[in-house]
Amino acid sequence: MKAVRLLSLLAVGMLLMSCAAPPTPRTSPAQPAAPAASVTLTIVMEQVPDYDIVAKLTQQFEAEHPNIKIAFDAMPYDAMRDKILTSFLAPSATYDVIIVDNPWMDEFARAGFLLPLDDYIAKTPDYDFGDFVGPLREIGVVDGKVYGVPYYNYALGLIVRQDLFDNPDYQAKFQQAFSKPLTIPATLEDYVEVGKFFKAQGVFGAAMQPQRGYKIFEEWKNWLYAAGGNLIGEDGSVIIDNAAGQRALEMYIDMHRSAAPPNSLNWGFDEALRSMASGESATMLSYNWMLPTLNKPDGPAGTLAGKFALYEAPGGKAVLGAWHWAIPKNTANADAAWTYIAWLTSKSVDKQRVIAGGAPTRVSVMQDPEVWEKGFGRQYYETVLRILEDAEPLARGARAEEIINEVGTELNSAVAGEKSVAEALKAAAEKTRAILARP
Amino acid sequence: MLRSLFAFKYRLLFPLLLVIALILGYPLAYSFWVSLHDYRLTAIAQARWVGLEQYFTILAQNASFWNALRNTVIFVGVAVGLELGLGLWLALLLHRKTTLFRNFFRSALLVPMFVTPIAVGLMFRFLLNSQLGVVPAVLRAFGIEVDWFSARNALLTLALIDVWQWTPFMVLLLLAGLESLPEEPFEAAKVDGASSLQTFWHLTLPMLRPTIMAAVIIRMLDAFKVYEYVYAITRGGPGESTETIQYHIYRVGFLYFRLGEASAMSYVLIAVILVLVIMLFYALRRESLAQR
Repeated sequence: MKAVRLLSLLAVGMLLMSCAAPPTPRTSPAQPAAPAASVTLTIVMEQVPDYDIVAKLTQQFEAEHPNIKIAFDAMPYDAMRDKILTSFLAPSATYDVIIVDNPWMDEFARAGFLLPLDDYIAKTPDYDFGDFVGPLREIGVVDGKVYGVPYYNYALGLIVRQDLFDNPDYQAKFQQAFSKPLTIPATLEDYVEVGKFFKAQGVFGAAMQPQRGYKIFEEWKNWLYAAGGNLIGEDGSVIIDNAAGQRALEMYIDMHRSAAPPNSLNWGFDEALRSMASGESATMLSYNWMLPTLNKPDGPAGTLAGKFALYEAPGGKAVLGAWHWAIPKNTANADAAWTYIAWLTSKSVDKQRVIAGGAPTRVSVMQDPEVWEKGFGRQYYETVLRILEDAEPLARGARAEEIINEVGTELNSAVAGEKSVAEALKAAAEKTRAILARP
Repeated sequence: MLRSLFAFKYRLLFPLLLVIALILGYPLAYSFWVSLHDYRLTAIAQARWVGLEQYFTILAQNASFWNALRNTVIFVGVAVGLELGLGLWLALLLHRKTTLFRNFFRSALLVPMFVTPIAVGLMFRFLLNSQLGVVPAVLRAFGIEVDWFSARNALLTLALIDVWQWTPFMVLLLLAGLESLPEEPFEAAKVDGASSLQTFWHLTLPMLRPTIMAAVIIRMLDAFKVYEYVYAITRGGPGESTETIQYHIYRVGFLYFRLGEASAMSYVLIAVILVLVIMLFYALRRESLAQR
């Protein structure tokens, strides 16, 4: 009988405990262990080609630092955010080093999950933090402190089939139709015009990515910049639904309906790339590092390899995305973690990473003749540097992820014809204001 | 009274009650507590009591929630309706002793049920893909162009995928129901000269009704949980046209980390499902009473 009472009490007790205050995460920084002792660092990574390059370089790091072993946990993008957050909330960190996507940086830093890196950077000889391209570097700075150092960029540029633009027949037809030469579009009006022209020639003008959420937001924001608009104004107010926003969305929809491949309302990165690689489309706004992939002789473009070129997005200003290396506050191996990050992002190792095909982040690397020669040529790196220097982050602030998804949903609704341009932008602005107003 | 409560037969129940309290009671109580707080995973230390505020906001102001609920109800109605019609037809065919290879078909029809829904979602994402998919390619050969994932078609496409996977389940239950029906009424109907349609309408269908109700309830409850196809194929798009309630709750809870609001939505969903289940059980009970 006593046992039964005890069990009943235990059950009731556990239920009551469930109603008590939830466990709070450990927010005080753990004392970093001295890297002299042998440690194994667990690092979360996205399973992309840049990871393969880092994994290969890491063998060199382990040879140079016999006391530090590296264990990678590579996974698809969709799984990362949950896993990283779980690691933050755990009493002891699962991950000693993490990579942080652009929209997560302010959220994680302000939640107190990341370790400030200023002291580490200051104490590391010849690190030259100022060598990272300014807009990339700034993404890792939150409220005046550095929480992340750039891993790789995914700024957007205009990738075109250069052979189509150089085709004398197309040039003559364009000249005849528009009384001006066929050139790489520098404005939205030019871009839509060129897109429609190629569609009339039997090649789709643009492989677009209007997929709901992240993809359309990322692509359309380039159009928004080109129209002179932005999501948030300089005074901090939401201005996405102003005249520039309306013009950008109207032109985006015009391009999609008149020059993009049919049935492409749900297209994301993969579909647009396939469309370009198969020769179906003449242009796409995509990550700058897709150019080497498309031009690779044994790459997805097959016989079209070598016919693609990269330019700045129409209007010049590009959307900037970036991954940063960061150290969770609850890791017990902060010193060793910084040793690894500092080594991997040092000028000399970063140069090796970029030569191997990694997306560049340092100015000195992009201006290095050896990189031009062994990598993808001077023109490519100079274009990437121009794109990066005139780029603005995809979104900033602690609620960036939610804003991107909500605004991206409204934009997609407009492209699908479910809402008018004015309705979609009004809803996007209202949602953004509501998200920003939350405590 | 107390003594009788601790009688041996009741004491035997305690281990089970304890297990239920731990695996069901604890999460339910905890999530209800969370639903009464502004509880964000990125700011757990700042969780604050908001009472029923989140419930009121969801019910009165959250258009996305109601849209997701509407999409889910349409999805469940279309999918379960088609599964029932198709399942009943197939079950009747497989019940007929004259059907060729009926044992083979009985086994083969069950195969889609063994595939995990996320794999089914990925499979159809490629099968229906406008660039790579075999279905659009075959249709194109006949001059038919269908945008399976347009704003108008996407929800219907997801329902059809559900029909492909779960009609076999309906067939299985209805076939079992058909085989358990007594033979005498059918023999009497045959002697009286009833046509096949009359036999089906006046005998098979009324006698099978309890099985049909049970099958519909089980499938409805399962279809309400639709998440995998949405996640793997459309992510709720275009716009919000395929955003189902489970996907919406996932988005708020695990993408935006607003666990308090997501928990409140879950409780609203539980209430909606409970009402539906009670209505169906009531109908089932009335049916069985009427048959007596």
